[in-house]
Amino acid sequence: MKVFLAIAVCKILRFIGGLAGKGSSLPGQFALKLCPDVLGRVRLPAHVIAVTGSNGKTSTVEMIAAILAADGKSVVYNKEGSNQIEGVATLILSNCTLGGKMRGDVLLLESDERYARHTFKWFHPSHFVITNLYRDQLTRNGHPEGVFDAVKDAVHPETTLVLNADDPLASCFAQGHDPAKVKWFGLDECSVSTKEHHGVYHDGARCPVCKGRMEYSCYHYAHIGHYSCPNCGHMRHGADFSVTALDLQAGTLTINGETEISLAFKSIYNVYNILAAWSVCALTGVGTAAMAGVINNYMLKNGRMVTFTLGQHRGTLLTSKHENSVAYDTNLAYIAARPEPCTVLVIVDAISRKYFTGETSWLWDIDFDRLNCPHVQKVMLYGKYCNDLAVRFKYSHIPADKVEVGEEIRTAADSLRDAGDEDVYVVTCFSDRDKLLAHVKRD
Amino acid sequence: MELTILHLYPDCMSLYGEYANVAVLRRHLEAAGVSVAVETALFEDTPDFEHADFIYMGAGTERTQKAALSALLPHKEALKAAIDRGAAVLFTGSAMETLGISIVDAAGKTWPCLGLADFATVETDRRDPCDVVAHTPLWESAVVGFMNKCSVTEDAPPLFDRLSLGFGNEEDKGPEGYVNGNVFATHLTGPILVKNPDFTDFLIRRLFEAKGWELPEQLPVLPYEREAYAVTLKELTAR
Repeated sequence: MKVFLAIAVCKILRFIGGLAGKGSSLPGQFALKLCPDVLGRVRLPAHVIAVTGSNGKTSTVEMIAAILAADGKSVVYNKEGSNQIEGVATLILSNCTLGGKMRGDVLLLESDERYARHTFKWFHPSHFVITNLYRDQLTRNGHPEGVFDAVKDAVHPETTLVLNADDPLASCFAQGHDPAKVKWFGLDECSVSTKEHHGVYHDGARCPVCKGRMEYSCYHYAHIGHYSCPNCGHMRHGADFSVTALDLQAGTLTINGETEISLAFKSIYNVYNILAAWSVCALTGVGTAAMAGVINNYMLKNGRMVTFTLGQHRGTLLTSKHENSVAYDTNLAYIAARPEPCTVLVIVDAISRKYFTGETSWLWDIDFDRLNCPHVQKVMLYGKYCNDLAVRFKYSHIPADKVEVGEEIRTAADSLRDAGDEDVYVVTCFSDRDKLLAHVKRD
Repeated sequence: MELTILHLYPDCMSLYGEYANVAVLRRHLEAAGVSVAVETALFEDTPDFEHADFIYMGAGTERTQKAALSALLPHKEALKAAIDRGAAVLFTGSAMETLGISIVDAAGKTWPCLGLADFATVETDRRDPCDVVAHTPLWESAVVGFMNKCSVTEDAPPLFDRLSLGFGNEEDKGPEGYVNGNVFATHLTGPILVKNPDFTDFLIRRLFEAKGWELPEQLPVLPYEREAYAVTLKELTAR
């Protein structure tokens, strides 16, 4: 009876909330109050796929959903990104019959890495994709090893783990897990790989198991690559699903040596997101042709990349995440790889839209020297924290005469509108991007 | 005027841009006319404490902190000798805890520490990363920064006698950090010397005194640093 009531209340509140345009965690919150174990008492589909990790969750989930839908499966997923337990409860219960059976062939969940253990207390995923673990929102998350410990608590012995073999910390989830229930994805050594580490800091310098000095035969980006620890033997596992060739300039990759995919967005991130989505879809029985059909030239709909016009400039906004240096670095690498002359505008105004903080340490983890190339003609540093950015740039190799500093974002937009016709790249966070987009003509 | 900075375990005792503390101190010293050498030591090395004038270690995860402690313990007499001859020490974040008597970790295991200070630390299961505004009798302006710890430290003579924001050694807004002579420690993480130009100037004065050098009338002011400090202080105090 309590289950029936919780589902009914959730559905009603969801309906009213939908009319009012309200967020999606409240109905679940009420339902959980009425029946705290309701998620353990509803019948879920055979396939429950969860995706977590520092970066790539939303994009990976979107691609998994697209593939499964194209394969004729009915997919229920949290496209609104409400990824804590209340949002997950809203999603599940509003898709349940009043008898407690969830409709759909697949439940697909983007799961917040710190709260996964609460969500999966009552049920567990059949497949758990863990994309990567790195410095991300440390003002909330503490540090990557703390996030590892939190996610580890959410891993059920019956769950099949789908792990990024190239991430030394995320790989540790396999320790103590039934090896038959661990599947690996990874990138072979290829054109983007380097022998030397690139970046301001190196979170793979030490083995996450024994803290011995780690060795890498190649790096793909940050601490993601082919590693082995001479001290304890922790090393990259062979991959079940591999990108065997990659040409980021041309925008092509090959999966398992046989399927060629064109990239709509030529970023190393996109490569890993595609590979993660491919791996879990293959494990749930989708055929190669069906997956390739969807993924080929797949344009993400989540709006992380926005193109616009401002005066005579063609503009591209690359949504980085404040407090996430790897997200910044990959976007800076993307800009550095474009050949045309350009101006780069970096905006740090509100560090978070969700919580209060004045924390700017993460600026020192970003490898701004990637912008030290001739085609980057000017770098504009704007927003409330422009002085912190300016200090950071004093410790880069970018010539001071290329750097402009100002507080008002409107001033940056006005000066771009009034002069020049070079490409403009804007690097900023969800919390700040509309402050610029308000002044441009979006495509 | 020549001075040597020794940065301990920069490859991993680096939670969040800690390297910038060394970079900014070096640049300010150079602007004041000092020729600066920066030496580093990894776990596998014997740190050269004998020639160090300033010894720095930054924050690490709880697991990395224990590895750093194990690496440093065999060299504690050399570190103590450096302190006794007047070398300045700054340990930030979880590095602070290694200076004390012991750390009891979350699993209940006791880790004997360097024993250079009379305080003891107990890890808790509660991590509460937070912004910090701290006040010290040693210089006038407030210190801004960020803290990322899950521990309680008892009986440390504090560097900051009061916090108006943040978690102190033992309690919310209580006294924080450790100071004894030229040994400074705080649980503040990240580039605290970048964020707090007056803290940097204070350390430079102490380094000049320890060297017996005459202080310039005014220490160098580098662009944007004080403006950045003012914005963060305003944001954190307006809260």
